[in-house]
Amino acid sequence: MTRTEILLVTTLLIVIISTGAIIAQLQSMVATLSAKLDEISQKLEAIEAIKEKVGEIPATITVIGPWAGPEMDAFMPVLERFERMTGIKVIYKIYRAEDLATILPAQFEANSTPGDVIFMWGWFIVEQAKKGHVVDVTDLINEADFLPGALDAVKLNGRIYGGVWTGKVKPGFWYRKSFFNKYNLTVPETWDEFVNLLEQIKGIEGIKAPIVTGDGVGWPISDVVEHFLITYGGPQLQRDLIAGKVKWTDPEVRQIFEERIVPLLRKGYFSEPIEWTTALELWWKGDYALYFMGSWITGMVEDPSDLGVFSLPGNKGLVFAPDYFFIPVYTKNLEAAKEFFKFLCSAEAQRLQVAQGGHLATNVNVPLDAYPPVDREVAKLLVGKEVLSDLDDSIGGEFQPTFWDQLKLLWVNPDALDSVLEALQEKAPKG
Amino acid sequence: MKLNLTPYFFILPALILIIIFVLYPISATISLSFLSPEGYFVGFDNYIRVLSRREVINYDGILKGYFPMGAIVHNAIWILIHLPLSTLLGLVLAVLLQNVKGSSIIKSIIFLGMVTPLIVGGIIIRFTFDREVGVVNMFLKAIGLGHLVRTWTMYPDTALFSLILGSVWLWTGFSLILYSAGLAMIPKEYYEAAKIDGASSMQIFFRITLPLLKPVTTTVVTMTLLWELKIFDIVYVATYGGPGGASNVLALLMYFLAFRSLDFNASSVIATLLTALTLIVAIVMFKYVVRK
Repeated sequence: MTRTEILLVTTLLIVIISTGAIIAQLQSMVATLSAKLDEISQKLEAIEAIKEKVGEIPATITVIGPWAGPEMDAFMPVLERFERMTGIKVIYKIYRAEDLATILPAQFEANSTPGDVIFMWGWFIVEQAKKGHVVDVTDLINEADFLPGALDAVKLNGRIYGGVWTGKVKPGFWYRKSFFNKYNLTVPETWDEFVNLLEQIKGIEGIKAPIVTGDGVGWPISDVVEHFLITYGGPQLQRDLIAGKVKWTDPEVRQIFEERIVPLLRKGYFSEPIEWTTALELWWKGDYALYFMGSWITGMVEDPSDLGVFSLPGNKGLVFAPDYFFIPVYTKNLEAAKEFFKFLCSAEAQRLQVAQGGHLATNVNVPLDAYPPVDREVAKLLVGKEVLSDLDDSIGGEFQPTFWDQLKLLWVNPDALDSVLEALQEKAPKG
Repeated sequence: MKLNLTPYFFILPALILIIIFVLYPISATISLSFLSPEGYFVGFDNYIRVLSRREVINYDGILKGYFPMGAIVHNAIWILIHLPLSTLLGLVLAVLLQNVKGSSIIKSIIFLGMVTPLIVGGIIIRFTFDREVGVVNMFLKAIGLGHLVRTWTMYPDTALFSLILGSVWLWTGFSLILYSAGLAMIPKEYYEAAKIDGASSMQIFFRITLPLLKPVTTTVVTMTLLWELKIFDIVYVATYGGPGGASNVLALLMYFLAFRSLDFNASSVIATLLTALTLIVAIVMFKYVVRK
């Protein structure tokens, strides 16, 4: 090895070692700097939290809900009142529950959240609570202020993980009073009268089918079926199916399908499933006479005073479907989020919402005079009846789309009853 | 031997991005498919569990010839019908419109389906086959087949086929544009020489046009096949995989397992299978193109 080569190798070694040392030094500096930055940021957060508490700077929270258009407009007064009361600014973002189901699990795994208070399915809130992603709100809410059982869907091991907002009731078949008057039709009091009414309507010229079937990935049909199950199997059957204590293939369940639903389908009393807002238009203009829909329909027609509704004869329980909300543990505005949570649980907030129409309060302290007249009629329908949870919303998971999908199949192919019930049982909870 | 590192330096940024956004997610998904929800290695248990579901393969439906037959079979049917139909239609239209004045306008109109977001495309398909407002039923009524009128996407025996036909409309623009570009690349002299030699139009088409369009056909077939394997949006908005799972496909099933059942391990199984299938198609086609 020549002298020059030795010199070169030595230089190279020195350069490598020096570079390594510099890199190590730099890494150490970065680590120190990063630790310092963390410390400063923690201090800043703490200062901001204190400022928030003493009201020096208003916090901003992000609320995620499913409402857009007129439904969002009806929710805005609630947010505005909260902002005026607390000085906390609220940013409202629209996400459908279906979309949130794809976003939230990944966000939560990454210890972050797109919103501070989020409206979501009850079953989903419980699933996330099991994984520790949801704030326990048992101390923020007084269960006695709410309809009995209204918070059951967001409970886990006796603790409460979500709040319950206003809801919609699914009372039965809606009709236009003017249509019934024109053709001398009367609200049925017995099953036979109900079937006669359908036959009578079928004979009216221009009527495509007595009952229009709404379709929106399937849920309107599931509401119809639940109403039949509750009426002819009793409210307890609905609870047992939710809990998985009764099988879908059980003779009692099968009998309701076979003797009540399938004959009506075979006789063509129900239309094919039609996109539910299109169905609403067709029904309103007189192509169909009856429409099974939730109470939100009162806010979707031109003249709500022309609306009439009846449940299936003998019905003793109605499905009440409230909206649920929760606080993710990853919120950076926990105190402000809790304030908003408490406000949503108050009678005052719910009063503002029900006054806009189409909603029923879950807070029992909201007076009847807070409702618009047509909703007051709907609220009265609940008197003397058991309030039940929506079956597929309560079970959720894979069962829900299966339930919607299989019922759509039954609607166009009533002969598939056995395979439909088997498919439902396959995905149903096992009690 | 002197090692030139410069090229590697230039591909490094792209390589880093590929590793982060492609290779890592793929390997993470594959590894997830072999784990239990608690993170324990379970071998092929998830695969057995998923593949034995009747949503994936419904032997009863296959043997008795009714829908649902299972997502894998539905994807296969989609490929069997959509691939030849959209490819041939694109080719035929490209040839027919080759020397037509104003053909670019017609081509643009056909290509609209291709630039339409698939979610919108799915909604359009849903309404196209609707009983009340659908153009298909209007056409049936116009030609005296009013007794056939129904919402085609609502019935298990027609739902999948309706979606496939709708997707042909959406995708034909792609093959049309590629074939049009391919036709423009063929030198005019070949046609002139063939005409001088007395070749008929059919002979010209089968002996000159079609062989020279082979590379384009390979691209069209590959891209179409990959699109068919990962089809999701149209089915999601038009039928949600129904009725009774009659139009369910693998990608939608993967979505249901992940975001409705929150069973990410089972969902990863479907994702891995889809990746394997698309890789096989891509590799075979890529090899074919390179060899040519």
